[in-house]
Amino acid sequence: MKRNLRAFDFLSRFSFGFLFLLIGVFSSSCGKGSEKGADHEVTTLGSVEMTARLEEIPEAFPPNDLYNYAYVLKYHVEQVHRGRVLGDEIFIAHYNPLKPRSGVQDEFSGKVGGTLEKFRAGDIHRMALEMPLEQYWMGGIVDKYFGQKGIRYWAVWTNLTEK
Amino acid sequence: MPGRLLIQMFVLFRLAATATAFAQPSSHDPRVDQLAKEVRYKGWIVYSARTDKDDWDLFLIRPNGSSRRSITNTSEFSEMGGRFSSDGKRLLYRRLPKGSTFAHDKWGIQGQLIIANSDGTNPVIIGGMGEFPWASWSPDGKQIACLDKDGIKIYELATKKEVRRMDRKGIYQQFFWSPDGKWFCGPANQYGQGWGVVRMNINTGVVNSVSETKSCCTPDWFPDSRHIVYSYRPSNQEVIDNGEMARRAGQKLEHGWTQLWMADAEGKGSLVYGEDGCHIYGGAISPDSQYVLFTRSYEEDLKVMGMVAHPLGSKKRGAPMALMRLSDAPTIGGESKALRKLHPRTKDGPLLQLPECWEPHWTYADIGIKR
Repeated sequence: MKRNLRAFDFLSRFSFGFLFLLIGVFSSSCGKGSEKGADHEVTTLGSVEMTARLEEIPEAFPPNDLYNYAYVLKYHVEQVHRGRVLGDEIFIAHYNPLKPRSGVQDEFSGKVGGTLEKFRAGDIHRMALEMPLEQYWMGGIVDKYFGQKGIRYWAVWTNLTEK
Repeated sequence: MPGRLLIQMFVLFRLAATATAFAQPSSHDPRVDQLAKEVRYKGWIVYSARTDKDDWDLFLIRPNGSSRRSITNTSEFSEMGGRFSSDGKRLLYRRLPKGSTFAHDKWGIQGQLIIANSDGTNPVIIGGMGEFPWASWSPDGKQIACLDKDGIKIYELATKKEVRRMDRKGIYQQFFWSPDGKWFCGPANQYGQGWGVVRMNINTGVVNSVSETKSCCTPDWFPDSRHIVYSYRPSNQEVIDNGEMARRAGQKLEHGWTQLWMADAEGKGSLVYGEDGCHIYGGAISPDSQYVLFTRSYEEDLKVMGMVAHPLGSKKRGAPMALMRLSDAPTIGGESKALRKLHPRTKDGPLLQLPECWEPHWTYADIGIKR
């Protein structure tokens, strides 16, 4: 009986140790944020590449059955992979945000895409970006942050990294 | 006694007939006949519309709807966006291969720029596909101003050389040079949370908002270069039919209806025409500023709303065009309970219904067509 208890105690400690080890490795990988959401497009397109958290969606996106438009969203920068970004809060315009990124590109948008299906506040996106926005999109822009200073970036590629 | 019954029946019959007459649309409104007579010989309107061959051609009509003729008549191409030069002698437009989808808000960057005589003869290709985007006549017809991501560019037509370049300052489409040559107008970003109509001083590049900075577009100049007509969809429109009209049109309840507005250069705006259940686009002013043309959406088909010509989405020839006197503004069409609450004092002048079309433009010049 005692032997059984010792064996159980040993196994429990071992299991917990192994579990902590796994969590440690996982957290360390998350902390780097290096590989999550990475693919060929996001790592090569645009002049800036970053991982950022979508802070909010200020209103329901307008329908785009009548208009194509870009919608400016506010992000908190988690990690800059390429290029230079000032500040940790930035504004990024997404083309026709009601559409999944995989099917959003059309003859007027230039190259845009990604794996993101739907925009949700709090989600973390890995994105390839360009700026200034007006050089990449000549069409309607909805900017609920009008009046707040800051560069407006154009999202070329948007991948979901984690929720 | 039978005589009395007969009289009662006659009175009832008359009452019923009168009620029916009021319920009918005003197709026999004598004011409409008078309006048609008044504009009969006031120049020509050019517009694009779908043909029986399933392409889009440019057509000319008299402003009363008579003397309609196709002036491009090409079966391998579609033509759109016709604009007369200020002397009325020439016409610029864009031409796409047949079967192309042209976009209501991007047509100025699609296809090739063509300049022809106003009767459609002698069409000359000015550039390749997508070149000279949003080309707009200078007042003397010797230059065109174009709009692309790099800015506003002015070209000499004779040499096609760029003679000036300016920052576009957020203007992005439906770009027009004023008749006096001093201004540009167009919808623009950067002046509010959404897009609105602005004008730009050509000498200084200074821009001022002419409309609300949300959901205003498709502007065009009045001949005085001091006023602009445009489409505007005000926010928070009241839904008083439980959303039935929106459901019929297949749009969200909160979307609302686009109306035709005008504003002076400093941005004091007023309603020209509105109708709950319809979107109003394509505003174009007559050369003497007495009349306005516009297009109305079909209730059931937003793909061919006043501004949308979507060959893949609909088989209609365009959107119904209408003409009204500007002195009758504001006019509200239909029952429009919500809009009438906001604008209780309207003139409700006559509307002359014209063919289905897209992007009409008007000249009073003699363009060499007799009839």
